[in-house]
Amino acid sequence: MKRILVVGGGTGGTIVANNLAHRLHEKLVKGEIEITVVDSSSLHVYQPAYLLIPFGIMHRNEAIRPERDLLAETIKFRQERVNKIDVNNRLVKTDSSSLQYDFLVLATGAQPDYSQVPGLEKGGYDFYTLENAYKLREAIGKFEGGRLVVAVTGIPFKCPTAPMEFAFLADSYYSKLGVRDKIELDYLYPLPRPFTIPNVAEQVQKLMDDRKIKTDLLFNVESVNPEKKEITSIEGETIKYDLAVLTPPHTGSEVVRVSGLTDKGGWIPTDRYTLHVKGYDDVYAIGDATDLPVSKAGSAADFQAAVVSTNIWDNINGFPPSLRYDGRVMCFIITAIGEATILLFDYEHPPSPPPPNFACYWYKLVYNRMYWTVTAKGLLPGFGV
Amino acid sequence: MSHEEEKVKVIDARGSYCPGPLMELIRTVKQSNIGDIIEVWSSDGGSQRDIPKWTEKAGHEFLGVIHEKGYDRIRVRKTR
Repeated sequence: MKRILVVGGGTGGTIVANNLAHRLHEKLVKGEIEITVVDSSSLHVYQPAYLLIPFGIMHRNEAIRPERDLLAETIKFRQERVNKIDVNNRLVKTDSSSLQYDFLVLATGAQPDYSQVPGLEKGGYDFYTLENAYKLREAIGKFEGGRLVVAVTGIPFKCPTAPMEFAFLADSYYSKLGVRDKIELDYLYPLPRPFTIPNVAEQVQKLMDDRKIKTDLLFNVESVNPEKKEITSIEGETIKYDLAVLTPPHTGSEVVRVSGLTDKGGWIPTDRYTLHVKGYDDVYAIGDATDLPVSKAGSAADFQAAVVSTNIWDNINGFPPSLRYDGRVMCFIITAIGEATILLFDYEHPPSPPPPNFACYWYKLVYNRMYWTVTAKGLLPGFGV
Repeated sequence: MSHEEEKVKVIDARGSYCPGPLMELIRTVKQSNIGDIIEVWSSDGGSQRDIPKWTEKAGHEFLGVIHEKGYDRIRVRKTR
């Protein structure tokens, strides 16, 4: 019997497991294959909802499902905390089991690390956990005017478009309420442009100028002073705020760090095409956990899940691997309530987004619902590409 | 550039893509002493554009670029 073990029941891990379960259904039923997903949480969270919760566009019940309900019945789900991953002995130790594998998929994700910036956690709000998204919703609703600062405090972080989307949504939200003129909106970003990809950054800068969102670039946050409501940069600037929405730096999960599987930044060294953890042909890494030079985004995990599930299927059935990851990512950028554009790019081809429009916004909202019934179910991995 | 006699901290960021090399430089400058020279090895063309801009804004001294095969050596001195 071949054992496929997936560590992490987020977007990437769930898609890999479900897609393999569909393709290997007969072998699973006969007991020739075993697929196990292990995660410390019993809940699957659709994290893109966090950005929309503060503006009342999505709600808690649309963001969470039980992981067991999402997985195919033939998949074993263990709600256990993984303590050690021993790739030399093909062994994963949890708080109650020792799990052996023939194929291991690491989909252990990324998490906010507030400790990297003094004052960060107390100084402002963020939308990187469900609880924090709801706290921010309250703060946004109560904010009556003054300086609203949206800042990125460390790179990389999950969903690179989210902070600028937050700024655009705030502009739109307060404009609709008729109080935009009481609010000064500032966007602080560590690079000399408001987004990592230069041609997209040009369009974003123009939109921000049009919407009177002030950009302070090359602003690398050194510390936040919650009492004085000030943000200080490594470059020596200090900015005052009345309300701050601060994207925290992120790091990889603790278990891959303590298992010696990461670089100094906490990310898993991953072959950019095969998605093997470097040096191990029986171990794959996908999604936010990797050191790949692509966005930490659900769509990247989806495209990578398609490659990994296909190549594991190939191996089990005696075929050579038939897919390579080409760096593909698809991201929406919401530019206002009711307006969005879309980025589709890969290692070789930068994005060429269309002008913001209603159709993209509508598709984004529909996709958020379709995630549960199509994407996470592994029915269309890699968006069918 | 002729800083051979001075201690140079090298950051080998080859293979890392924008904004990786710049972020590595910022982290290292933060941990360095005034007067230290930091040299970033970058194979990402964007570093040549971004690093001088950051150096100027942060008030440090941009010392120049040495082009090697497949990568650049970009030098900065921490001045404050």
